[in-house]
Amino acid sequence: MVAVDISGRHAVAGRYIMVSASVAARISPEGVERTRRMRLVPRVAESVDMEVVIGLMEESVRGLSGVVLAERGDLYNLERWRVESILGREFKYPESRGERRAVELAHHASFAGRRLALRLMDEGWESVEG
Amino acid sequence: MRDEGGRSMRREKTAVLLFREDPREDLRPEEVTELRGLAEAAGYTVLAEVFQRRGRDRRFQLGRGKVVEAASLGPNKLIFNEPLSPGQIFNIGKEFEIPPMDRFNLILEIFASRASTREAKLQVELARLSYEAPFVRTIESLKKLSERPGYRGSGSYDVSMYRDIKGRMAKIRAELRAVEETGVRRRERRRKLGFDLVALAGYTNAGKSTLFNRLAEETVAAKDQPFTTLSPTTRAVAARDRRFLLTDTVGFIDDLPLFLIKAFRSTLAEIVEADLVLLVVDLSDPPEVLRERVASCHEALWDCGCYAPLVSVLNKVDRITPEEAEERCRLLEDLAPTPVLVSAREGLGLEALLDAILEKLPPLEEFLVRLPASEAGMGQLSRLYEVAEPLEVRYGEEVEVLLRGRREIVAKALRGAERPEADQDMDDRSGAATAPEGRRPKPGDPPPDGE
Repeated sequence: MVAVDISGRHAVAGRYIMVSASVAARISPEGVERTRRMRLVPRVAESVDMEVVIGLMEESVRGLSGVVLAERGDLYNLERWRVESILGREFKYPESRGERRAVELAHHASFAGRRLALRLMDEGWESVEG
Repeated sequence: MRDEGGRSMRREKTAVLLFREDPREDLRPEEVTELRGLAEAAGYTVLAEVFQRRGRDRRFQLGRGKVVEAASLGPNKLIFNEPLSPGQIFNIGKEFEIPPMDRFNLILEIFASRASTREAKLQVELARLSYEAPFVRTIESLKKLSERPGYRGSGSYDVSMYRDIKGRMAKIRAELRAVEETGVRRRERRRKLGFDLVALAGYTNAGKSTLFNRLAEETVAAKDQPFTTLSPTTRAVAARDRRFLLTDTVGFIDDLPLFLIKAFRSTLAEIVEADLVLLVVDLSDPPEVLRERVASCHEALWDCGCYAPLVSVLNKVDRITPEEAEERCRLLEDLAPTPVLVSAREGLGLEALLDAILEKLPPLEEFLVRLPASEAGMGQLSRLYEVAEPLEVRYGEEVEVLLRGRREIVAKALRGAERPEADQDMDDRSGAATAPEGRRPKPGDPPPDGE
């Protein structure tokens, strides 16, 4: 499974400085058994509409195999089938304790990634993307 | 009131259930069954069920006509499946003169009627106040708006009432904190005595109390109705060469509001601090709700911070065919770890369940402990007898004890349980006793003291 979380969905000086973290992991109902890969993708956007969120998510899970997992709030509580059809991949909202733990792991990664991105921008990097 | 035969007659509580179906989503039959079950558990006789497919009405939740239809049956209560806003409660009560309630309020009413211990009563009161505080604020403001008699119009009454509620909530929280601390101390003491803690958790009416009675050979109340158990009950269970404490707890329900989880924190602490949680699932539930119910148990466990390993007890297998059981096990593959098929009522699968419990509990190790043949040594030996299973004792210049138990518990007992880090550096402990030597020496190993 690939757990995804996006940090930075709030405007800072009119921009959204977001980092999406994807964690590919083997998950049991009780917890995360093994983390296989992790990807962080930064993005600066003017809005956080569905197109931007899905685009960022799509990029961050690229190359990682498995069902995509994300919190309901991250996808504006859209029905599962709608997310699947927009994302073009198998998708589900977390149900078991293990799946929630994986999303929490992705949240910690994206949060830390965003802090790093902000620090880099403070140090004079014009863009953290790419 | 008495009937003609002179028997006492209790006034029957009646209710009409009202369901609003979302235009985009069908109402699931299980939602209807669940609300009916909750109403009956609260002692209501259900006169009728009223359905309407429409968007949410701002004033009455359903359309006025449907509420009139329900009210015309003359029930004592109108029970809505959807949450009611403070304004809707006020409007319905005023317009139809029948008090309305929603699903959460109904659950609270059941809790209130079943709460028997001081702790449970406080928890229910806290939950009710948390739920009602914003309602009181709105309703009092609405009443004042229309200058109804009894409200002086100065604007001080509603604020003071809201403050009173907040004050009472703070007082209850303080009392519950004291109860919680007692619980923490009690669990600490039980651990020190070498018991493993196992808690039963699961959806309401999954058969937790029946299973508890089976395993602990007890007779706590177990009925085919939701929320029979509110306060935790703990009993010792001796299973083969191990003993553990089994705790029966309150059941979960779908969409359990956070304030209810918070109010029942001290009860849920029994689950949070357990070494192992038995997740009891009613396997006879229809497949379409089974997954949702198990998922909502996972959600509740996650919300209350339970990270203990799980054993899934798939209960009530006697009510379904083996083919159905197999199909439902497949359905729960990714939600039910270590599944064990059980019928608590018929006593089926209990041996397999005990095997699974013993396998998942923290392992017991064998230690060789040397104690001085002195009064202090004998004191330590007596403590070891309480917390671990002695396998062999040899008396000589020193007392050699071979015992089986949990490493940290044995270490604590040797240190008088004063230092929590005892299991880290057992060799450094004060006193004359020699450290536990680790696992039992195998034939051919050098003697423990290097003789």
